[in-house]
Amino acid sequence: MAGRRAALKAVDWAAFAERVPPNQRAMFNALKTRNDALTARLAALPEKPPAIDWAFYKANVAKAGMVDEFQKKFSALKVPEPVDAQTAKIDAQEKETAKSTAEYIQASKARIAQYEQELQKLKSMIPFEQMTYEDLSEAFPETKLNKEKYPYWPHKSIADL
Amino acid sequence: MLSRLVLRAAPAALRALPPPVAVGVLHTTRTLHTTQQSLAPVPPLPEKGGEVRHGLIPEEFFQFLYPKTGVTGPYMLGTGLLLYLLSKEIYVVNHETAAAACILTVIVYAIKKFGPDVAAFADKLNEEKMATALAMKNEAVQSLQTAIEDEKKEQWRAEGRSYLFDAKRNNVAMLLEANYRERLLMVYNEVKKRLDYQVAMQTLKRQKEQDHMIQWVERNVVQSITPQQQKESIAKCILDLKALSKSAHAAV
Repeated sequence: MAGRRAALKAVDWAAFAERVPPNQRAMFNALKTRNDALTARLAALPEKPPAIDWAFYKANVAKAGMVDEFQKKFSALKVPEPVDAQTAKIDAQEKETAKSTAEYIQASKARIAQYEQELQKLKSMIPFEQMTYEDLSEAFPETKLNKEKYPYWPHKSIADL
Repeated sequence: MLSRLVLRAAPAALRALPPPVAVGVLHTTRTLHTTQQSLAPVPPLPEKGGEVRHGLIPEEFFQFLYPKTGVTGPYMLGTGLLLYLLSKEIYVVNHETAAAACILTVIVYAIKKFGPDVAAFADKLNEEKMATALAMKNEAVQSLQTAIEDEKKEQWRAEGRSYLFDAKRNNVAMLLEANYRERLLMVYNEVKKRLDYQVAMQTLKRQKEQDHMIQWVERNVVQSITPQQQKESIAKCILDLKALSKSAHAAV
């Protein structure tokens, strides 16, 4: 963060909430409550503290030079900005998730392609009424009878009947 | 039949094409060996066999003879043949003929009576098998479709990760800003407290001094009143009161 006035990006909580999967709802709610608490805290604090009326104090404080000294020190005082250690981490996290998300989406697309292929195969199957057992074994390889291992009928282990 | 035997060697890809002919009831006569034997995909076998008359003679025979001999032709042929066989004793009537006649009668009667029921039962068994297979297939199709939907939804969800990081960064920024403002406020408050303390101290001191002075003055004045002065002041008060009461009497 460069200066104090890093702009707060508006987060569309409604759209965000839509995309949260149900098993991560609790984390999302925790994040939201944290965010709300911080917003409330920030809103309660004034942006600048009110100015100190030096003239009044100069007129009324008897000790010589005290008010001047205070004024000098006060105007010279620089309140240090809190150091931002987290944004870098968050950016790193974001990059990492971008990568892993890309990978996940790749895998997901591969899965979708596979499902589409199977769906296509199922849809283009000839109707069962016109199939022979050979056709069935072709369409569903798991129903194929293993004639080498079990040469005698029923060509599968008795436990599978 | 034979065409299917030949086509077993055909590549499996051809079998994936759906058959063009719907599974309907084919009452039409089947064309026998008129097509090329490279038909793919194989048309489905007809549900019923070719039409026969009297359970034995195919309809094609009657159609074949119809142009030449009309409707009664095949019957005449049949009757003639039968009489020829019997009269020339090419077919000898013996005890086995009677047995055959009885047995055939019983068989035909039984089939005519119980045939449809047995057929319906067998069809029902087949239907059940088909239904389970079809149900499984539909279920598989359904589950695949939902799986595809779910994958797409997950992809859409993953796209929303930017919200998460924006929210986190916002949190961090707000926290830092709040801290900074709190620090400024603290500085101001401390300085103001000290200055106010000084001012308050001063006013308190002045007030105490004033009070003390007043008390001291009063005390001294009271002390300085001698008994002589007291008597004189009391006498003066009485005279004043008398005067006042006279004027009051007068007023009333």
